[in-house]
Amino acid sequence: MDEETSQEIRDLVIARLKTLPTDKEISVGADGEFTKEELIDHVEKDDEIGRQMVEVEMSFLKALKEGALFEQEQ
Amino acid sequence: MNRSILATRPDHDRTTRYASTWADQVLKIARDKGDAVFDLPKERANRKEVESMLNKKRPDIVFLSGHGDENRVFGQNNETLIDASENSSLLAGKVVYAIACKSGQALGPMSIQSGAKAFIGYKNDFIFMIASEKRTHPLEDETAQLFLEPSNQVIISLLKGQSAQTAHTNSRRAFMRNMQKLMTSETSSRDASMLRYLYWDAYHQVCYGDAVIAET
Repeated sequence: MDEETSQEIRDLVIARLKTLPTDKEISVGADGEFTKEELIDHVEKDDEIGRQMVEVEMSFLKALKEGALFEQEQ
Repeated sequence: MNRSILATRPDHDRTTRYASTWADQVLKIARDKGDAVFDLPKERANRKEVESMLNKKRPDIVFLSGHGDENRVFGQNNETLIDASENSSLLAGKVVYAIACKSGQALGPMSIQSGAKAFIGYKNDFIFMIASEKRTHPLEDETAQLFLEPSNQVIISLLKGQSAQTAHTNSRRAFMRNMQKLMTSETSSRDASMLRYLYWDAYHQVCYGDAVIAET
């Protein structure tokens, strides 16, 4: 993936993270708990936590696109 | 006596405190049913006690709550309790549920190779949301409840005598039900933002092997 596309994806993820409520924290395993501002900072830095948040968002968007959220478990 | 369950419940940071507190809810259900509960909370969630319990008590179900990685599940202060390459053979003959990040990647399959009847865990980090004002009262946190109740469904199903695969399916259905609740028009967009993490946890929960814990 070229840098321009990667930056576009990070921008999309940051825009989505901005919709998180300010009165909640996100527990990410042993990495601890993060506010939405902290998660956005990690995505901007493109560090390990930031890349994981990109993976979370993109897998969710893919599931939305494929209708996976509306399927019943067999 | 019906079934027996060993639980490790470290409690040294906010994430483990939440997981431990909610794990205790299913242990209460087990006790009420008359099942044998071997509970290792806080400092008792150490390797020596875990290995001793696994050897001496031979529990049917092993419930590992805490941090983890691909090969290990950790206890209090992140002491290694189970390591795929060192002592996963202690899980032989048992049904294991690890609400421990990434343990479904390598520890799960290796424990099956070592003789575990089944292993339910997560291929990636278990992510959940916390309501900041409830951080000292995990059981009152309705936000965290959306994540930790579906997780508990694994053990509740096993205690009912359902197979590991059914327990896994029931847990994923519980995640799905919570997601569907959040997709209704009555839900605010703020609350709907939890959907991505509920989907993540449900998607990454895995089950290896299958078994029914028979009553004894």
